[in-house]
Amino acid sequence: MDLLLQTLVNGIMLGSVYAMVALGLTLIFGILEIPNFAHGALYMFGAYIAFLCISSLGLPYLAALGASMAVLFVAGMLIERYIYRPFYKQPVISSFIVAVGLIFILENGALAIWGAEFRRISPPINAIIEILGTTITAQRLIVIISAVLLISSIHLFIKKTRLGSAIEATSQNREGAALMGINTSFVGQATFGLGTALAGVAAVLVAPIVLISPFMGESVIAYAFIIIILGGFGSFFGAVIGGYIVGLLESLVCTYITSNYWEAVIFGVLVLVLAVKPTGFFGKEH
Amino acid sequence: MKNRQIFIGLTCCLAIFLAIVAPLLFNSAYSTHIMTMCGIWIISSMGLNLILGYLGQLNLAHGTFFGIGAYATAILIQSIGLPFWIALPLGCAFTGALGFLTGLPTLRTKGHYFPIATMCLGISMYYVIARWDDLTGGARGLFGLPRPEPISVPGLFEISFDSALSCYYLVLIFLLFTFWAIFRITCSLVGKRLAAVRANEDLALSLGINTMRDKVIFLSISTLIAGLSGGLYAAYMGSLMADQASFLGSFEILLNVMIGGCGTLFGPIIGGTLLPLLTETLHFLGSLRLVVYGIILILVMGFLPQGIVGGLNSLFIYLTQRRTGSRLETAVPSSTNEETRK
Repeated sequence: MDLLLQTLVNGIMLGSVYAMVALGLTLIFGILEIPNFAHGALYMFGAYIAFLCISSLGLPYLAALGASMAVLFVAGMLIERYIYRPFYKQPVISSFIVAVGLIFILENGALAIWGAEFRRISPPINAIIEILGTTITAQRLIVIISAVLLISSIHLFIKKTRLGSAIEATSQNREGAALMGINTSFVGQATFGLGTALAGVAAVLVAPIVLISPFMGESVIAYAFIIIILGGFGSFFGAVIGGYIVGLLESLVCTYITSNYWEAVIFGVLVLVLAVKPTGFFGKEH
Repeated sequence: MKNRQIFIGLTCCLAIFLAIVAPLLFNSAYSTHIMTMCGIWIISSMGLNLILGYLGQLNLAHGTFFGIGAYATAILIQSIGLPFWIALPLGCAFTGALGFLTGLPTLRTKGHYFPIATMCLGISMYYVIARWDDLTGGARGLFGLPRPEPISVPGLFEISFDSALSCYYLVLIFLLFTFWAIFRITCSLVGKRLAAVRANEDLALSLGINTMRDKVIFLSISTLIAGLSGGLYAAYMGSLMADQASFLGSFEILLNVMIGGCGTLFGPIIGGTLLPLLTETLHFLGSLRLVVYGIILILVMGFLPQGIVGGLNSLFIYLTQRRTGSRLETAVPSSTNEETRK
């Protein structure tokens, strides 16, 4: 019972991280129709920026979180404008290849700057909380609660604000939105920034629990893609629910079945979903 | 066009001649090693070119298939004790079959699924290889693989593969064979069907082409070639690490193809020759080398999407236009697939 509860909490925590990363990825996909392979590398970059702020500048954790978010928002906007946008007129495969190039620039850039050794960020609150007889570190609860807050505020942002509605309209029908006077290229840029910032926040939140390394984004981006295929490309709720499902699945499989071949298990799930329902569970037909 | 065919034929002969005499001219272990590695990377790049260049599908697990072919061959040799000459075809067949199985669910839908699914496959297979201690040696890797057994016809001759030079010629023979096979495939009816699929899949489908079957078959041929180069790598190096199956391999092969010229017959050869040489010169940069490669990849995509061969081709057309002053040449598609047609 004890183990099960801890496994579930861990699963929800992982799920929160995956949901945030996948949400950013799916928002970007919904607007720009490009699978941003470099999303995982940007996630990794977010963690390193927070690490830099805390270790070199001595900033508190919250300030580092904000800084990482801001830097990634700007970086996302610049990447969209100067790296992806020149390729929109070319066949889609060009953007895929460009994204692969970007991964290598970011990952090996981080490797050159910070080295291959694992880094740590110490948690802002070093407490252990006891719930129903199990002990849970405070940081896990912080991740879970912040994810819920962030995801709901992004939902509100999309539903209630002007820019949010513009994002939703553009993802539904780009030409239609442009005809209604929406500046779709700005919307694309802003969404890219938002999605990237979300990945950065997820990375900084989970950084006190996992270790930071230049290649920490690789498995996360694979899961995020599996999640958005599960949930359907461009689907908001698909990404969030898929994120929690994959997180819980990972935690349960690794605790009770096998931790060595978890990646193979989740890839099997992907193949199964692709074979049965290629549009995912919440996706629209393309 | 006649002149051009003669020109291409002559260049081919010259290139083969150079490839044969070059290790004898340089006559150093280092240069032979580099040239053997070039050969292995070229074979692998030709495989990726088949699926990326001729079919327009980005396989981000090509390096993983290379690794799987290498591990399959090595395990068959070490654990079961098969001779290299049986293990290599079996390893290739295994990789090809795996490519076939990957293609079935992922190539069914158009668009983004294939690169995403292959990326996920690449990352998950890497972890499987790195952790399956009993079979792959895990993080330690496999080592102590023997070189290929000598081929002997009793009483006539015996070819042994103990020296690095003989391994180079072995790789070269496989390279020429792969090149010839790909040349034949692209000239064949299947190749033309494939060009139709790439140009307009819906139209091809409406003309009665079974696009799904063609795509899956091409993916398995492409992964089989990756497996072949992997098997050769395993036999040549004598040791394997899990890193050989990582995402990095896929990236370098992709870069070979894009620099040389995607969808051209000679692109992978040029890219696969230039990039290892560049790697050797840029060793001092450390991990910045891959940052440079990433930048090169993006620049190539932006300014030379057809690679070096495509660029030369456009230059050639431009020059002939200027000389003859005719506009007729513009009727020739600038697509470099042209050179593979009769």
